[in-house]
Amino acid sequence: MMSSEFNLVTEAKDNCIVINTTGYINNIGGQKIVDEFYKHNSNGINNVVLNLANSNVVNSIGISFLIEIIEKLNQSSGKLIFTNLDPSIEKTFTIMGLFQFAKKADNLEEALKYL
Amino acid sequence: MNIVEYNNIIDKLSVHVKSFQEGFSLLSKSSTLKEFGTDFCRILRGNFFISDVNLFFKGNDTTEWKSVVVHNEKCYECLPYLKPSPEVHIEYFSENEFSIIATLPSTDGSFWGLVIGRKIDKSEITEIDKITLQMFLQLLDNAYQSFTNQKKEKQLIFSLNHRVVQLNSLIDTGIEISKLHKTASLLELSLERAVALTNASSGVLQIISENIIVSEIGFPGNFDREKVLSSKNKIDTSVEFQNIKYLFTLSEKESRNGIIAFDQTDEILLQAFARQVLAALENEHLHSEAIDKERMHQEIEMAATIQRKIIPQHLPEIEGYDLAGINIPSLEIGGDYYDVTKLKDGRYLLIIADVSGKGVASGLLVNTLNASLNAYVENDFMLTEVADRLNKIIYKASTPEKYITGFIAILDPLTGTIEYLNAGHNPIFYANNGKLKKLDKGGLAFGMLDFAFPYESARIQLYPGEKILFYTDGITEAMDSEDEEYSDQRLESFFLSENPAKAKSFIENLMADIKTHTKNTPQSDDITALYLSRNR
Repeated sequence: MMSSEFNLVTEAKDNCIVINTTGYINNIGGQKIVDEFYKHNSNGINNVVLNLANSNVVNSIGISFLIEIIEKLNQSSGKLIFTNLDPSIEKTFTIMGLFQFAKKADNLEEALKYL
Repeated sequence: MNIVEYNNIIDKLSVHVKSFQEGFSLLSKSSTLKEFGTDFCRILRGNFFISDVNLFFKGNDTTEWKSVVVHNEKCYECLPYLKPSPEVHIEYFSENEFSIIATLPSTDGSFWGLVIGRKIDKSEITEIDKITLQMFLQLLDNAYQSFTNQKKEKQLIFSLNHRVVQLNSLIDTGIEISKLHKTASLLELSLERAVALTNASSGVLQIISENIIVSEIGFPGNFDREKVLSSKNKIDTSVEFQNIKYLFTLSEKESRNGIIAFDQTDEILLQAFARQVLAALENEHLHSEAIDKERMHQEIEMAATIQRKIIPQHLPEIEGYDLAGINIPSLEIGGDYYDVTKLKDGRYLLIIADVSGKGVASGLLVNTLNASLNAYVENDFMLTEVADRLNKIIYKASTPEKYITGFIAILDPLTGTIEYLNAGHNPIFYANNGKLKKLDKGGLAFGMLDFAFPYESARIQLYPGEKILFYTDGITEAMDSEDEEYSDQRLESFFLSENPAKAKSFIENLMADIKTHTKNTPQSDDITALYLSRNR
């Protein structure tokens, strides 16, 4: 249940990147995700899958970073798809309104179909 | 000014007004200050025919100027000319590399600094340009207000949504941890949620017994224990259950602008989480107790089943005699016992016994009595010797306050002779020639003392038409709602007057008479009776 130190691994797919996170998505975790996003976005990547299979705790600062990514992608008609969400995170994202501008998928395969 | 020049100015201003309107819409939608500034400089360049437009921002009186858009590095040299004040400040220069330096105050206490180079055609700044600049400074001010309002609105919505998340998570966590029947899991989950919902960087839960930390849980996994506990930016709360203290400490509240102080809501939230943990711990304890109770109940049920097997389901049929018995325990496991066993020599052993108290311990003693008695009467025996052995074995097997009163009788069915021994039991009723006799010869109750006064037995002759009633004090002491006992007298009277043809009817009628007395008063003691009558 306890998450270890935050880290992420990014995989490049055809027209998107898949960011796989591990650990608590807080200020540090959120910043790392945003930095990783901008690194690829500046190279023209507009589709992002965020795989939270190994992150089951997120705070509101972490969420604010995710909203930043959503806003940025909306300006360029890009897409952000969350996958493998813990039920408590899914509920949190729903209340925070993230799914008005981003999609969710049960698994990576399904997420890639949205792109 | 001729009409052509006049029309040119009108056309130019019309373009600026259109640009002003479009610019406002564009700038208001900016997502960042950088984006806002970049778009504003682009609009300005298009309207002034100036490529060199530089923009600075100052959060308030005390902060430094920060560059937003820098086209010409030399613009930094103009920073001293920016004059933050409540009024708009504009300076025009005709000889310098930069033609305009303007400072604009905003309603939120911040300032914009504008450093503009020379026009592309190298011409001087005209009066029309000055009017145009005023217009676009107004645009900057209005659009920035709209931009900040939209940001505030977003922050407010975010904040409200976050409050909903906090409340929702508090409820969900309470439900989730109440379902967990493993203390470690519920503590881990509640700490995780408390850390996340208060935006803490990390948290520690210490479990303290007698001022000694017996266990610690931290979140996230890589947390620095000492840093959390020694932090000046922390909140804590504790709950106590069964002399164990659960101390929650959260440290370093996060924000996008760094670490900030925890607020009162965070403290209330943490206390609410701690109270949920306390409730969950209590629930877990009650759940565990319920399981133990259920296990105990099953064991008692099993013991009761075993004991019910000791009480005879069917009594032997003795030619010339009629027998009936009943045992109604007041608890699942009673302390009363009766039995009728045919001996090898054709005689019958009849026994009734009553263990002091009720429940499992009494049931165990009944079992000991039953097993011992059956073993001792396997072969030839003397009743007094059997009684002596029973006394010793019950004494060894029981606690000081436990003993067994009993009445044992050996019936020779051929002659009607009965040898009996009363071990501290209530006198047994014998109807002899229409008169009541009480059989009380014997000795002390079994297990009362290990040094035995010698037991004595006695003999009676049961003639046709005569009867004996073995009973326990649960009958004579059966009470009604006013604590009035059924009494020895009523039983004696019933015994003498009731002479049905069948022993079974006697027992049924006796039970009915007791019920008439007690009505619906709950039974407080075991009720046991054994009735023997000689027909011929």
